[in-house]
Amino acid sequence: MSVLAGLRQLTWMAALAALCLPAPAGAVATAGSAHEYDLKAAFLFNFAQFVEWPEDAFPSPSTPITIGIVGDDPFGTSLDEIVANETVHDRKLVVRRYKTVDEVDACHILFIGHAESKRLDRIPPRLGNHSILTVGETPDFTAHDGMIGFQMAKNRLRLRINAPAARAARLVISSKLLRQAEIVGSEKTR
Amino acid sequence: MKAPRGSLQHKLVALMVLTCTAVLVMAGAGLIAYDHVSFKETMARALGTRAAIVAANTTGSLAFENPDDARQVLAALGKDPSMTAAALYDAQGRLFATYPANLPASAAPRAAERRSIHFDKESLVAFEPVVEGGRRLGTLYLRSDLQALVVRERVYALAVLFAIVGSVGVAFALSTTLQRGITRPVLALAETARHVTEKNDFSVRAAAATSRDEIGLLTEAFNDMLGEIQERDLEIRALNRDLEVRVEARTAELEATNRELESFSYSVSHDLRAPVRHIAGFAELLEKRSSAGLDDAGRRYLDNITDSAKRMGELIDDLLMFSRMGRAELCATHVPVETLVADILREMEQDLKGREIEWKIGALPEVQADPAMLRLVLTNLVSNALKYSRPRSPAKIEIGAEPGDGETILWVRDNGVGFDMQYAPKLFGVFQRLHAADEFEGTGIGLANVRRIVYRHGGKTWAEGEVDRGATFYFSLPERKEAA
Repeated sequence: MSVLAGLRQLTWMAALAALCLPAPAGAVATAGSAHEYDLKAAFLFNFAQFVEWPEDAFPSPSTPITIGIVGDDPFGTSLDEIVANETVHDRKLVVRRYKTVDEVDACHILFIGHAESKRLDRIPPRLGNHSILTVGETPDFTAHDGMIGFQMAKNRLRLRINAPAARAARLVISSKLLRQAEIVGSEKTR
Repeated sequence: MKAPRGSLQHKLVALMVLTCTAVLVMAGAGLIAYDHVSFKETMARALGTRAAIVAANTTGSLAFENPDDARQVLAALGKDPSMTAAALYDAQGRLFATYPANLPASAAPRAAERRSIHFDKESLVAFEPVVEGGRRLGTLYLRSDLQALVVRERVYALAVLFAIVGSVGVAFALSTTLQRGITRPVLALAETARHVTEKNDFSVRAAAATSRDEIGLLTEAFNDMLGEIQERDLEIRALNRDLEVRVEARTAELEATNRELESFSYSVSHDLRAPVRHIAGFAELLEKRSSAGLDDAGRRYLDNITDSAKRMGELIDDLLMFSRMGRAELCATHVPVETLVADILREMEQDLKGREIEWKIGALPEVQADPAMLRLVLTNLVSNALKYSRPRSPAKIEIGAEPGDGETILWVRDNGVGFDMQYAPKLFGVFQRLHAADEFEGTGIGLANVRRIVYRHGGKTWAEGEVDRGATFYFSLPERKEAA
């Protein structure tokens, strides 16, 4: 067998392998895989079940629980799919998207993506004077007064919770949720 | 008093102990069965509660995909050694966490849809949906062994066994003590009855019962009965004594009378002989001396006197013999009847001259009798047969024998004039005659003598006959010597 022949065969096999492999998952590979954001979307939805909002967070019994996303939406349609037709505590869920934190109004859970987190020096404790559970994915999110931070570790999504920040927003986080998370406080100096 | 096996005492004790045992075994079995069921229910309820609690504690782990936390929660189950396995499944039924942590997947069954608790062969299994805010997050599976049930049953069985053994002991002790109240009077009664039977002493009485129960009544009735028997016994004894005295007196009286009668008849007969002989003798002398001087009527009168005197003499001789027969000692030996009959016939040869007779003599046995007397009996019967068959030619005379019930029956049959059966009872009486003396001679003592002799040998006489068709005379002799 000539070297040339061997080389040709190798190229052939590589082409076949390329065909069999799935296409690279999405363009947002830098911010994590599609699976990661499916999981994060599910977590966002689950937070609604393990967190209690003060009564004034819901003007009427039919007020839905609003999940807000600030900045670029990394979830695609997964979050909308998860909350569609679901109710938590007899309330429907809706997803709203905001360009910046400043746009946020009557919202219950707010996901602040990488870009927006980096832009913000600190997460405002009471956005628009509402009790909003802030969720972020930067490592220093909770240190900067964010309430729940996602951490990817060993292919696992772990939680870090800034309990005093949540308490300050008059949110009650279930012990069942707290058990799953690392409890931290705000970094005072920075 | 040592009670024999199977005695009333043992039976009473056994009765009570067995009853007690049976009742306790039944009660114990019921108790164990009830406890088994209720304890299983309790176990199931406890596991159900535990499953609910654990499930509530794992909602967070499932919601936030934290198997480590779930494993921690499940690991707490290890505090209870009866927990053999636990598994947590997510909403899609995938295994999420297990206890023990290295539980092989094969040991975890498919997650059930619904809440369920059931016993399988050696464990108790529970499935519990994990639900948060109405949303199904997963399923919890718990498995516990039945060691607790086994231990509990063992302890229960042991307790019941101890209770039974203890109770049986107590029942034995109590019944042994209590049965005395029943058996003592009964045993006393039995003892008294035995004493009465063995000693024939009707004067004893059973110890009076202290209680008014059936045994008391029995004792009383028994004593009353004894009193009655004693009274009757005394009466019977008195009557017997009286009777014996009377029989003795009467027997003595009869014997005396009989003796008197016998000696009277003997002496009368004896004393009559001399005058009768004189009459006969002098009639004979008169005939010799003055027969020629008498006319025909006178000679006839004289003949009549001679005949009557002769007949009277015969009568007296027979009477004397009859009388002797009643007194003579019996001297029984073996007598060959056949020889005896042959002897008698030879003797009678004289009387048989000029007669045509068909003899038929069967096989004759040996009998136990006084030979002289038996000869008299047979002579009498044979000569009777000859006498009453005189009108027949040929005369048929049969002599035979047959075995009877413990006796030998001998008979003499003829084809003579016979008799009417209605007179049969009179045949054997003294001076009883069915025929006129001028038709068939005789004194009327022969058959009476036969009967007397046969009676003295312990036998019986009887006869069968029909007018003009002959007669059969039977007599029996006992096979063993039973002389009166």
